[in-house]
Amino acid sequence: MNWERVWTAANWERLLVGDLFNTGQPGGLLVTLALGIGAIVASTVIGGILGVMRSSERKALWVPALLYIQAFRNVPLLILVFWAFFFPPIIGLELSRFSSVLLALTLFTGAYIAEIVRGGIRAVPRGHVEAARALGMGPIQVLMWVVIPQAFFNMLPALAGRYVVSIKNSSLAFLIGLADLTEIGKQIGARLMTAPIEIYLTLFLIYFVVNRAISSATRLFEKRERFNRFFLRV
Amino acid sequence: MNLDYSVLWGEPGLLILQGLVMTLKLSAWALSFAFVIGLAFGILRWLGFRLLEPVCWLYVEFARNTPPVVQILFWYFSASYILPPWMFLQLRDFGYEFGAAVLALSIYHGAFIAEAVRAGLNSIPKGQIEAARALGLGFSQSLGHVVLPQAVRVIVPLLISEATALIKNTSLAMAIGVVEMTYQFKHIDNFLFRGVEALTVITIIYMVLCLLTAGVGTLLNRHLSRHAQPQAARPAVLTSE
Repeated sequence: MNWERVWTAANWERLLVGDLFNTGQPGGLLVTLALGIGAIVASTVIGGILGVMRSSERKALWVPALLYIQAFRNVPLLILVFWAFFFPPIIGLELSRFSSVLLALTLFTGAYIAEIVRGGIRAVPRGHVEAARALGMGPIQVLMWVVIPQAFFNMLPALAGRYVVSIKNSSLAFLIGLADLTEIGKQIGARLMTAPIEIYLTLFLIYFVVNRAISSATRLFEKRERFNRFFLRV
Repeated sequence: MNLDYSVLWGEPGLLILQGLVMTLKLSAWALSFAFVIGLAFGILRWLGFRLLEPVCWLYVEFARNTPPVVQILFWYFSASYILPPWMFLQLRDFGYEFGAAVLALSIYHGAFIAEAVRAGLNSIPKGQIEAARALGLGFSQSLGHVVLPQAVRVIVPLLISEATALIKNTSLAMAIGVVEMTYQFKHIDNFLFRGVEALTVITIIYMVLCLLTAGVGTLLNRHLSRHAQPQAARPAVLTSE
């Protein structure tokens, strides 16, 4: 084991922050986090909309949502990344590598989050919806003030798992040549040539720390009181 | 936009079919190893040996929290350092890339299956195993004939979604040069510049594979739970899907 060859200041800089101020080259972890967090935010929005559509009783809403969910869940993410990378140029659209990975990751994760949202909504008792309607709230109001706040709490553990998976999935970016954490690690490994165990264990460690941080952060809100105080202000 | 699907007749189509065979082979090997690993570690964690607990925890948590593609690269580049020589030579004769991909995928999915198995076993009331022991069954008998069959019934949906996830994740094996379906897409794209046409076909094949697996899983689940009483809630375990 020659850790001292892997854990040099220069390697850590490339793996984590990069040379932002001189060359503007971001480090691997920054690219991975930007991809992961971007996909998390965008796919939560998409998945939320689709999940609400999926749990609607109108055919015009739930059928398209179901088709989307089935289509995107049953294809490997790598295939979607290739679609996002190879298809846009054909219809005359130029997407950077970063945005095509982000697009694929968002659409893919959106389908899973839609299913989670649907499960969360289904767990809200029917009586609550009816009571809110009886009190004179419109359907959108019922959704916003009665269904979603309760469903969100139910969904939290599943969402946390999905977010961790998105961070893991952002590692596919290296297959189309984006310099994310995996790609930088692979480059360092290729240059040293004799220390594959050390460099990949380092990558494992970084991903592990990031993912555990995400799941612990969401676990904080699994206590009902704290969740209510933070999100609902009650 | 000019897409010409007729280019896929002949050799490119055959390449895709060869890739499909490789994908199926990879899935079958990795799936069987993953089930063995998952069952072993799930039972070990359920038993809760004080000494083995940290090892099992380390394995399950690291395998679940790191990207499968990095695990594939790890085993591909460092198997020669880690494995004992005889094992490495066997792996090399087996087809090194293929072996490394099988190893990595079964270790990755094995961890998820282990968690599912443990959750399934935990959902069986303690009284069941105590009753089995009181009736004179040995430990392995009560595990194999009483507890496990019930646990498996609970976790079949989880196992099925794990199996689909594994089939999808075999596409990552192209990173180390296993010639499966996704690799063939890159190959066709490099040589014919007809990537999108090949990609369409491959997407459809993956979709059919995954839907078939899910369909078979649903049938299996229905078959297994045909005599079951209405169950308590299924254990909430995260799958890698």
